[in-house]
Amino acid sequence: MKLRDNEPLRERLAAEYVLGTLRGRARRRFEGLMHDDAALRRTTREWNERLGAMAEFAPPVAPDRRVWRAIESRLGLRAAAPRWQFWRHGSLALWRTLGLASSALAALLLVTVLLDRPDTTRMSDIASLTDEQARPALVVTADRERGLMTVKVVASVPLTAQQALQLWAVPRDGKPRSLGVLGADRQLTLPLPANAIGADVAVLAVSLEPKGGSRNPDGPSGPVLYKGAWVRLM
Amino acid sequence: MSTVAAPSDPTQLRAWLQGAARHDRGAFRALYEASAPRLYGLALRILGRRELAEEVLQESFVAIWHHAADYESALSAPMTWMTTIVRNRAFDVLRRTRSEGELDASEGHALESLADLAATPADRMQMSSEAQALADCMAALEDRHREVVGMAFFHDLSHSDVAEKLTLPLGTVKTWIRRSLARLHACLSARGAA
Repeated sequence: MKLRDNEPLRERLAAEYVLGTLRGRARRRFEGLMHDDAALRRTTREWNERLGAMAEFAPPVAPDRRVWRAIESRLGLRAAAPRWQFWRHGSLALWRTLGLASSALAALLLVTVLLDRPDTTRMSDIASLTDEQARPALVVTADRERGLMTVKVVASVPLTAQQALQLWAVPRDGKPRSLGVLGADRQLTLPLPANAIGADVAVLAVSLEPKGGSRNPDGPSGPVLYKGAWVRLM
Repeated sequence: MSTVAAPSDPTQLRAWLQGAARHDRGAFRALYEASAPRLYGLALRILGRRELAEEVLQESFVAIWHHAADYESALSAPMTWMTTIVRNRAFDVLRRTRSEGELDASEGHALESLADLAATPADRMQMSSEAQALADCMAALEDRHREVVGMAFFHDLSHSDVAEKLTLPLGTVKTWIRRSLARLHACLSARGAA
């Protein structure tokens, strides 16, 4: 294909690139060609100006005020919400992404878990909860079939007798849901409620709480120490 | 042109974008106030779900703040620059949710209303002159051709996706899109020259 001399073809490919109907290998090849062809970049930009204006056909809708607050917090444009109120920082989307990106880590973890747990064939989901330096601290596994989940502490977490760890499911919208409280035990098996693993759960989090758990029914009262997202295994 | 700047006045938007590039918070806030409803409307149209559209709007403005210095006013209208960011991000989310199989119902609904949208865009007065010109040129296309173009643009669909959704032969869809794009090009060029 001699693209350089074929003006109608250049126009058409640029237009379909912007429209989105140029797909897959053809799209990547076109991007490669643009890289070395300033005129083709300009043609594509012109099409982006022409067709991009279609975006304005959608009726405007005023977004909720929380969106601006989340943007402000993320960019540090005003005093941020208290650090433990992590779900107000608006970075759930980012965590979800991180959760997906770390499925390789989860797979590694699975190997470890498999080694000391022979009955993992029933495990349907796994979440690795890590600290701020991305070091794994807890592994949560779910068994959808039997409706059970197991929380296992894999790092040394120093707790006094008055302290406990509380596990939360943080949905994309709304308040965190408490899943259970972990005291001195290193491992705990809990019932798996549907709202712990539904599609709307963005992330799991563990907060440091007084013995017995947070006094606040709407969320953690102490700092969030660990967080991580579910990875579906089967 | 009226003397009072409309919310989509490109000169004003460009000035605010340049302010954001200098990390001027006031300018960034003004840019958000002026453009967020339109950008959110776009994300909502693509995704059909509020929480996903809010996520996209947030991500987009974080990106706009970080990349405002890269905006080249000679190359792109400010609204086009921002809508391209929002559209790309919305498509990322669309692909993610499609692969999770979550979105079908709302997407079907959004697709139904697309034909109307392309035919009678909301509040022309609020649109940039480029969008008004495009709306006029799209109005001159045949209804089904316009529908096919709008569907591809707003829903990140391939030729075969469009063909399947409209139960049309693939070759027909390809021809319609090719022909529509050529007509839009001619129509917009003629208006530009006038």
